[in-house]
Amino acid sequence: MSNSFEHSLSYIEQFFINVKQAQALTVINFKSFPQRFAASLVSILSIGCVAAVILSVLAMTEGMMKTLAQSGLDNTVLIMRAGAVSELQSVMFPAEMNILANNSKVIRDAEGQAQVSAEMFVNAEVNFTDTSGQQVSKSLALRGISATTMKFRPNFKLVSGQLFTTGVRQLLIGQAIARRMPELSVGENITLGGAQWQISGIFSDDNSVFESELWADIGMVQSDYQRGNTIQSVRLALNNIDDLVSLEKEWQDDPRLNIRVITEKQFFAEQGESLTRLIRWLGFPVALVMALGAMVAALNTMYAAIASRSKEIATHKAIGFSPFAISTSILCEAVLIALVGGVSGILPLYLVFDGWTAATQNANSLSQMMFNFDINLKLIAQSMALALLIGLLGGLLPAFKAMRLSVTEALRD
Amino acid sequence: MQNTNDIILKAINKSYQKGDNTVVVHDDFNLTIKSGEFVALMGPSGLGKSTLLHLMGGLDQPTQGEVLIGGQRIDNLPQKKLTQWRAENIGFIFQSHHLLPVLTAQGNVELPLALTPLNRKQRKQHASMALQLVSMSERADHYPKELSGGQEQRVAIARAIVSDPKILLCDEPTGNLDRKTADEILALLAKLNSDSGKTIVMVTHDHKAAEYASRVINLESYILSQNNSLSKNEELLQNIEPEVDDISIGASS
Ligand SMILES: Nc1ncnc2c1ncn2[C@@H]1O[C@H](COP(=O)(O)OP(=O)(O)OP(=O)(O)O)[C@@H](O)[C@H]1O
Ligand SMILES: [Mg+2]
Repeated sequence: MSNSFEHSLSYIEQFFINVKQAQALTVINFKSFPQRFAASLVSILSIGCVAAVILSVLAMTEGMMKTLAQSGLDNTVLIMRAGAVSELQSVMFPAEMNILANNSKVIRDAEGQAQVSAEMFVNAEVNFTDTSGQQVSKSLALRGISATTMKFRPNFKLVSGQLFTTGVRQLLIGQAIARRMPELSVGENITLGGAQWQISGIFSDDNSVFESELWADIGMVQSDYQRGNTIQSVRLALNNIDDLVSLEKEWQDDPRLNIRVITEKQFFAEQGESLTRLIRWLGFPVALVMALGAMVAALNTMYAAIASRSKEIATHKAIGFSPFAISTSILCEAVLIALVGGVSGILPLYLVFDGWTAATQNANSLSQMMFNFDINLKLIAQSMALALLIGLLGGLLPAFKAMRLSVTEALRD
Repeated sequence: MQNTNDIILKAINKSYQKGDNTVVVHDDFNLTIKSGEFVALMGPSGLGKSTLLHLMGGLDQPTQGEVLIGGQRIDNLPQKKLTQWRAENIGFIFQSHHLLPVLTAQGNVELPLALTPLNRKQRKQHASMALQLVSMSERADHYPKELSGGQEQRVAIARAIVSDPKILLCDEPTGNLDRKTADEILALLAKLNSDSGKTIVMVTHDHKAAEYASRVINLESYILSQNNSLSKNEELLQNIEPEVDDISIGASS
């Protein structure tokens, strides 16, 4: 028997033997998992909570980014007053718009009309009676639009009702608002800044951010909000978006203009980033604290598991299982707990919330913007990875303890 | 000589450090067990019987001295090699069987074979053979909770012998069993000794159990006699005739 021992195993052989041993023990641990399910429940649930919170934060920001990304056409350029971060902060004059519109790089239609849209954008205090007869007041984004605005919104569709009549206090409401406030239906009257407005229709725009706005005739908005003939932003379409760099330089050098030039896509992406950052700043610390808690729970569960199985572990060692194999099987068990926990957190969220509309406060406009939870495979994988990591870290110390467990001591008591 | 499975404990010191106190369990302890022997190790509680067994099986290391098995020192083997050596050469049987409740008798017996290069089918075969040796073939598909204490211990023995180790180390293997069942288990061990040539060292408190052994060592008187003998080391190393080693209870050589 000593001769069988004289050949020394290579490291690779040794490794595969270890893996095989770990596999055998892991299979056994998994088989007994149903019996220990109750004891592992706290770990499972706390890991599940972490996975759910992380997935919510990720899904919310992802949905937001998606919504914003759908909001701009490739060749649309947004012009605001220099220094304005949002349309709300911007003021522009008709003369400026004329200079912009006269540029040859802007698209023109058959009649030679430049594709330029002047827009107002205000925070409107909206008062209406809700279904229970209660008087409610909401802050909503009101956009004053002109005839050309629709050309920038190829996905615009009337869901019900009709367009507003120019020169009349009528407005369209975005589908996202209509969904959340069913009392705002076509034909209803609402109060905006003291004046009565009538809802003429409801529109959709391929889930873009505009679905969270009220649209009305720019002239009516200018007069109701005492803006004279000033506007807030200008959208224009370029023949070739690659001209933007030279065009921006040309306009920046023009002493008559003092403007900020940005593609609409870029503008919304920036807004999305600041919102995303805000949500993550709020969400991630919470998730981190919960993750630590879940890790401690997993640690506890695994410590208890190896304590109750110390004789079993000692027997395995006496039989000749390697400490590596034993601790690996403990780690696998911790990861299994994390896996079950992850599924228990992610699955309900997926079933209930995928596509659910969640409302957030737009950090810039403070108006209600509606976003979709967007739960996709990438986010599920990320949340699951975190859950598994928690299990792995929580199992590390117990696995180490099992590795160090003294057979003689375990067998003696 | 080198290929036999003699167990030699040479000038063993085993002590524990507890703060300023040193607990000496064994001091200058010598013992040779010949390949093919069935030794019953008896003696009062706390005298270090289990400790000796653990030293022989490489579960524990002596503070000083050497443990030689088949001519090879195992007390200074690195942990990895020791584990592997143990898997190949030693079968342990404890008072409690420590069978895994989630595995059938067959599954429990197959477990140590995960440490060998045998394939699935071979593992099954070996385990079936081991179960047959302990007369548990009919219960192969039963779970431990469906077996009696004696049956469980039989399965534990099958698990200990399945990888065909030459040495079986048993720590009070019948301690939890009634007389009749204990006798069955002891007869089984005696059979493994006589038919399969296993070297067996069995710690027991049961005088009737000791009757199954080919040699009985009462640790208390053995230690006394060792201390009385002046040239004990040379004697143990040089005299390999059975009579010299055969120290019966209370007698001194
Ligand atoms: N970790 C330890 N620290 C200090 N002393 C220890 C330790 N482990 C064992 N001992 C001591 O070693 C001695 C021998 O223990 P061992 O278990 O070998 O006795 P034993 O002869 O098998 O007893 P029993 O018949 O009760 O099983 C005991 O006195 C015990 O207290
Ligand atoms: Mg003992």
